[in-house]
Amino acid sequence: MRQAPLSPQMTVALPVLGAASILLAWQYLLPLLGVPAYIVPTPTAIFGVFQRNFALLMDNLRPTLIEALAGFVIGNLAAVLLAVLFVHSRVLQAAYFPIVLFFNTIPILALSPIIILIFGLGMTPKIVIAAVICFFPTLVNMIRGLDSASDNEHELFRVLSATRSEIFWSLRLPRALPMLFSSLRIASATAVIGAIVGEWIGSDKGLGALIIQATFNYQSDRLYAAIVLSSSLSIALFCIVVLIERRVIRY
Amino acid sequence: MPDAIEARQLDVGYGGRQTAVKVLTGLDLTVAAGSFLSILGPSGCGKSTLLRVVADLLDPLGGTISVLGETPHTVRSRRDVGFVFQDSTLLPWRTVRDNVRLPLGVGQRSLTRKIEDRSTELLELMGLGGLGERLPHQLSGGQRQRVAIARALLGEPKLLLMDEPFGALDEITRDRLNDELLALWRRTSTTILFVTHSIAEAAYLGERVIVLAANPGRVVKDLDMRPFKQEGNRCKREDPAIVAAMADLRAALERAS
Ligand SMILES: Nc1ncnc2c1ncn2[C@@H]1O[C@H](COP(=O)(O)OP(=O)(O)OP(=O)(O)O)[C@@H](O)[C@H]1O
Ligand SMILES: [Mg+2]
Repeated sequence: MRQAPLSPQMTVALPVLGAASILLAWQYLLPLLGVPAYIVPTPTAIFGVFQRNFALLMDNLRPTLIEALAGFVIGNLAAVLLAVLFVHSRVLQAAYFPIVLFFNTIPILALSPIIILIFGLGMTPKIVIAAVICFFPTLVNMIRGLDSASDNEHELFRVLSATRSEIFWSLRLPRALPMLFSSLRIASATAVIGAIVGEWIGSDKGLGALIIQATFNYQSDRLYAAIVLSSSLSIALFCIVVLIERRVIRY
Repeated sequence: MPDAIEARQLDVGYGGRQTAVKVLTGLDLTVAAGSFLSILGPSGCGKSTLLRVVADLLDPLGGTISVLGETPHTVRSRRDVGFVFQDSTLLPWRTVRDNVRLPLGVGQRSLTRKIEDRSTELLELMGLGGLGERLPHQLSGGQRQRVAIARALLGEPKLLLMDEPFGALDEITRDRLNDELLALWRRTSTTILFVTHSIAEAAYLGERVIVLAANPGRVVKDLDMRPFKQEGNRCKREDPAIVAAMADLRAALERAS
């Protein structure tokens, strides 16, 4: 039997209670079990870092935010433009899509050192890595989305003698938007991952660098604070994407 | 005035010219301008295919076809043809009104005449007044089909092709839409080709009913309904003459299947 749906209050209250119970157990149960603070610091210790080292955290958040955001925009934009090109030229798609497919099979961790070799140690290589990591899922989704209009829909536009560009703007693009947004939601998390991976490999700034430094210095409260901050960054990006999606897609 | 459709020895199929699977072979069909033609036939016999050729969505493999005295291509690029699909094919991201307005938004460049935004009038006419700002998913199946018809009418087509437009509707709604369609047809000089699986609907609507058979697709019955109807293609569904004609059509359809 299907369970009755939860009331609106409960759908908000239950996740909050769930999270609170985990935090409480973490705070009080883990020390009791003898887990040392240098492996898992308590939530209050992590929160303490936000108070004491707020400036440090913000200084490291800024480059990661910029890299992730720039990578997100550039990677997705490039993917959308290439998808548009591909659906309008089957020849180009047949010629180059397999190569794109091949590039996608290279693990980002293997690709990153090369990107850093090419672009040096500034923000650029991190932006490129974040862009690369966003690029492929959006490309695939966008191609599928732009091709997802039904035969009947295409015939409807043909009966109306619509031009190619009218078909694109009035049919293909709106049809593709739901799939585009679902890959943008994924990209909101992967862009941050890309920026952090880039910072691991070659940087002394950013959340990725902070994570590496804190690990080597056994500053685990700082390490956990950096992790909390990077996931907050992903969540914030995700929320922005969802907000835009809700305004754009109303059906 | 040229005939709405004149097809001679028409061959139609899918796939390339060499490898094609023929769906219609040697089809001869003449449809007078301004008339209402119902098309019956077993599933897969090529009814939709025939409409596709008329609408220039598919090129014939052989034979000749002229639509309104010209090639299907000319007629389509002038936008003299309207098409109502079996599923309403409304764009889900557009409001009802904007769906009806689609013919204003696209393909205007190839239009030689000027069409007006009659969306308010057409929505009213199709009993959709007040629903203009809704999205298609907020409508019933019958309402969606009315929107599709309003959209086709906004383009002021000289030839209206309808492919099982009411197939998915309950009988009461279907009957009501039948009457609305007939009223529309009487007021305009539009030629209508109406594909249906319902013998009753075909007989009630058509001034003439043809039955297609499959493999190869051809006309196996061509019944003039005007002798059984009053002026203006009016009749009662239960009129004995109509019922007799329906039995006649049913027999032809059974032989064709
Ligand atoms: N795009 C296509 N490619 C290849 N074959 C097709 C295509 N569309 C239809 N056919 C074939 O052509 C034949 C006629 O199809 P069509 O859609 O015209 O039938 P129909 O009379 O409209 O049937 P229904 O009543 O089920 O809608 C069928 O055998 C079908 O399999
Ligand atoms: Mg069909």
